[in-house]
Amino acid sequence: MLAVLEAFKAIKEKHLEAKRIIDEATVQAEKIKKEAEQKAISAYEEAYNAVISQAEQEAIEVKRKTAEEAERELEKILSHAEEQAKEIEAKAEKNFEKAVDAVLNMVLQ
Amino acid sequence: MMESTRAITEMILLEAQKSAEHIIQEAQKSAEDTLEKQRQRGVNKANEVAQSIFKKAENEAEVIKLSITADAKIKANWTMLSKKELWIAAVLNETKDKLRLLTQSKEYRPILEKLITEAGIILGGKELEVLLSEKDSALSLKLDKLAKEISEKTGFETKLRLSEEKPKVIGGAMVRTTNGKVIMDNTFDDILGRREKDLRSKIAKILFK
Repeated sequence: MLAVLEAFKAIKEKHLEAKRIIDEATVQAEKIKKEAEQKAISAYEEAYNAVISQAEQEAIEVKRKTAEEAERELEKILSHAEEQAKEIEAKAEKNFEKAVDAVLNMVLQ
Repeated sequence: MMESTRAITEMILLEAQKSAEHIIQEAQKSAEDTLEKQRQRGVNKANEVAQSIFKKAENEAEVIKLSITADAKIKANWTMLSKKELWIAAVLNETKDKLRLLTQSKEYRPILEKLITEAGIILGGKELEVLLSEKDSALSLKLDKLAKEISEKTGFETKLRLSEEKPKVIGGAMVRTTNGKVIMDNTFDDILGRREKDLRSKIAKILFK
């Protein structure tokens, strides 16, 4: 009979110890979850800021590339204008006297 | 009895430890899920904003590009037009110089007489006054002969007299009725001015074709 009581006592003690282990684990689990909730705010901000920062860099790059394109286009336009100006000079020099004679004829006719 | 009791108590502890580990593992998994979900929310929200940042940058860049190229085209056209304008002005100046030279040549007198006659006919003849430059006034023009020609063309007896007024012109003549009410300006200066628009267009066609 004493042995049975001893056995019950031992089992009860181990039950209490087991409950304590589970309670501790539950407390630790709650702590982990709460910490995660706190970290979640900065995780959101870090992820958000990283994407925005990347987008801003890409936006700068787009502007830079477009500015380069505009610069090339500008040089093309000015170079074309320079060629046209040379053509104008050449034609005007060639036809100058002809134009003067035509005006004289128109005035004197 | 002792052995079976030990086995039971060991099993109780083992189960408790397993449960505890499972509880912690689940909590860790839940924590990782929470963090991952928040990261993903941040990324999704930022992607929406990033789209508008990118679109705005593209629009701004395009506006800047258009503005730069439009300015360049305007500048290029303006340079071209200025150059053409210089050449047209040079032609007109050269023409004036040649007209000045012409007024010193023997070919000038018949031209001047023609200009006076034409002006007299346009005015319809009768009593008319001829205005010439200081230099042209010194030419001995046969005004009676010109008056006769005008009379024949208009059917009205015409008299031409040289005015005391000496306009400062390159050449040509002004003819006016003696009461001064109607004037026909056939000076080279006025012809050039009157026909400037037409002349410029013709000069441009000849010069730059």
